[in-house]
Amino acid sequence: MSSWSRYATAARFALVEQARNRFALGLLLVFVPIWDGLFAMLISAAPVAFKLQSTGAFLQVNGHDLTVLTSGFNAITLIVAFMIFTVTRRNAAFDRRLALAGLPQPVAIAAKTTAIIVASTLVSLYAALIMEAFWRPESFGAIWLGYLLDALIYGALGLLLGVLVSSELAGFFLIIMVSLMDTLLQAPVENPLANKDFLAAFPTFGPMQVAVSGGFGHGVPGGSILFAVAWFVGFALLGLAIFWRKTRIWRTQAMPSLPAAQPAISHPA
Amino acid sequence: MSEPLLRAEHIARSYGRRRVLRDINLAVAPGTLVGIVGENGAGKSTLLRILAGELRPNRGTIARTGALGYCPQMVLLNDTLTVNQHLAYFRAAYDLTDLSYAETLIARLGYQQYRRMPVGALSGGTRQKVNLTLALMHQPGILLLDEPYQGFDWETYLHFWELAEELRAKGRAVLVISHLLFDQQRFDALYRLENGQLTRLPTERAAPHPQTEEV
Repeated sequence: MSSWSRYATAARFALVEQARNRFALGLLLVFVPIWDGLFAMLISAAPVAFKLQSTGAFLQVNGHDLTVLTSGFNAITLIVAFMIFTVTRRNAAFDRRLALAGLPQPVAIAAKTTAIIVASTLVSLYAALIMEAFWRPESFGAIWLGYLLDALIYGALGLLLGVLVSSELAGFFLIIMVSLMDTLLQAPVENPLANKDFLAAFPTFGPMQVAVSGGFGHGVPGGSILFAVAWFVGFALLGLAIFWRKTRIWRTQAMPSLPAAQPAISHPA
Repeated sequence: MSEPLLRAEHIARSYGRRRVLRDINLAVAPGTLVGIVGENGAGKSTLLRILAGELRPNRGTIARTGALGYCPQMVLLNDTLTVNQHLAYFRAAYDLTDLSYAETLIARLGYQQYRRMPVGALSGGTRQKVNLTLALMHQPGILLLDEPYQGFDWETYLHFWELAEELRAKGRAVLVISHLLFDQQRFDALYRLENGQLTRLPTERAAPHPQTEEV
């Protein structure tokens, strides 16, 4: 088999597994609209100040619309991290068995990365579409891009926790705590301090800048995209490095006196 | 005397201060069934994981030739994937051109009817059969089995010995590690793992393949 077809097989099954995670899919289908809807109902349209990092200017934006947008961030970060974490942790031993059987580590790593990217793309698209029911932003693409960037960051965080944390409960708590701290602190309606500079270092800062700036018609800031990508790459590299270490196989010495390959044997009828 | 398929020399492994394996020496020749018996906690799984390459010894060398088949103690499957999907996944891992031998194994173990079912929905016995199929489907030169009997039903147990004898007849080798070794007369060589070392035990089998020995 070519490396490509080995990768295609591994990536297909990584995605099949995600698709069979019915609890996560149920959460996605039900939780996102309810969460968005609740905030849409509760929060008024009173204007809120939001600082755009690209220009340094404060936008006065509709509080209702901004809150619907930020509640989407809250929902997708939890769901994507949960999806990737669950599958990664559950399959630790199975992945090692595949490695022992000869699945090259780069193939396994590429398949895991593909699953994160595809799952993030679909979850963020769904969340962006649901949000349209509560607010029609200037740019749908900017909202989707913002959600996608944050989904990627949290997918990679899910991978990192999946290879690092052996307890399922501990992993879930970490995901919930990180997501809560990160996404709530970025939201000016829930947190009046949201425009403070130190929050610019948080993972959701970049995606939020992209979505708010584009969603309210001020263009998409390239620097914020790069900042978000850096968070994604950082988490992913760390997680994949630990995965690589855990699926490493100690190659035994080859025996010089014997040919490397065994002669083929005939199959029993 | 033919070259061994697996040779381990002076293998040692500790966990912290606890020395689990002190000085393991073993050579497994083609066409042999080898058994290693040891009490719980004697280091059996550690030894097997080192022989398979999953764990690095602190000291010593392992040389192996031919493909390795590894049947871990736990049934290691992915519950969300079907039997067919496992075959496709391991075909990619072993880099096989086709699944003809896997088909043969499934027919002989008699679980064709479950091929489209997620393995999480299968009975314990059928899961064991899938586990064994995955370890054998690439016709390994040497098959390592960790406590293989634990989950076998009677039927699988008989099939297992048929398959092991076939491998032996084809010049392959099978190494079984267990806390209990039934059917000791089937083995060409038996060892006891104790105090981190292997001791050869007498075997009843008339040995047409006497090459396996301590080195």
